[in-house]
Amino acid sequence: MTEHKHIYQAMFLLDNEEVRKGFNAAKDWIQTTLEKHGLEVKVLRLWGERQLAYTIGKRKRATYLLGWLEGSGDSVNEVKRELYLLGPAFRCMFLQEDAIPEEELVFGIEKMDDSALVIPEEVIEPDFEEPYEEPEEEQAADDKPKEEKKAEGADSDKNEASAEKTEEVKTDG
Amino acid sequence: MASKKNRTFDYKDIEDLQVYMTAQGKIHPAKRTGLSGREQRRLKRAIKYARLMSLIPYVS
Repeated sequence: MTEHKHIYQAMFLLDNEEVRKGFNAAKDWIQTTLEKHGLEVKVLRLWGERQLAYTIGKRKRATYLLGWLEGSGDSVNEVKRELYLLGPAFRCMFLQEDAIPEEELVFGIEKMDDSALVIPEEVIEPDFEEPYEEPEEEQAADDKPKEEKKAEGADSDKNEASAEKTEEVKTDG
Repeated sequence: MASKKNRTFDYKDIEDLQVYMTAQGKIHPAKRTGLSGREQRRLKRAIKYARLMSLIPYVS
């Protein structure tokens, strides 16, 4: 059976802990994995280091790697399987495209100094929550009606008691 | 909102996508975006890819 070749745009989310050890090492690992499964890497470049819109496994920031590849769908599936089990990438996406844009082809397989990529430290926030304290003003405001209610309640009890007495007098008479 | 005919959307162009979304992160209906059915489907796909790549939130 002949394997149809397609052009794919791939995006990889790299763990910043791995990128701190060396961006080129992480990128080379992905490139060799792609080539091992028969994908031809046309472009592989840094797209940016940015904050994630939502946390993924306690990660708040990640490094994005963009690639343009040529190969079969089966090899893409094999690469995905390997990437999720091993390596610095924790998320990836492959999209089939018609052609590689010329402005992307200019980049090729980008080489850059590890020191050029500065990754800010993630601020680890404590998990505990502060106990809730009701504001004092509201408490004072709440107390007043209670006192009033108590006074009202006492008055009503007295009235009830006097009403009972009058009823008793009536029955006796 | 639609300026061009038969336009395409790139999931990496977050600022362009956010024009067609509410502050909560929902996609505006075609009635409001003014896009054709095909364009609206392209927009939907691009937004979903961007969400998957954690470029835009699912809800905020």
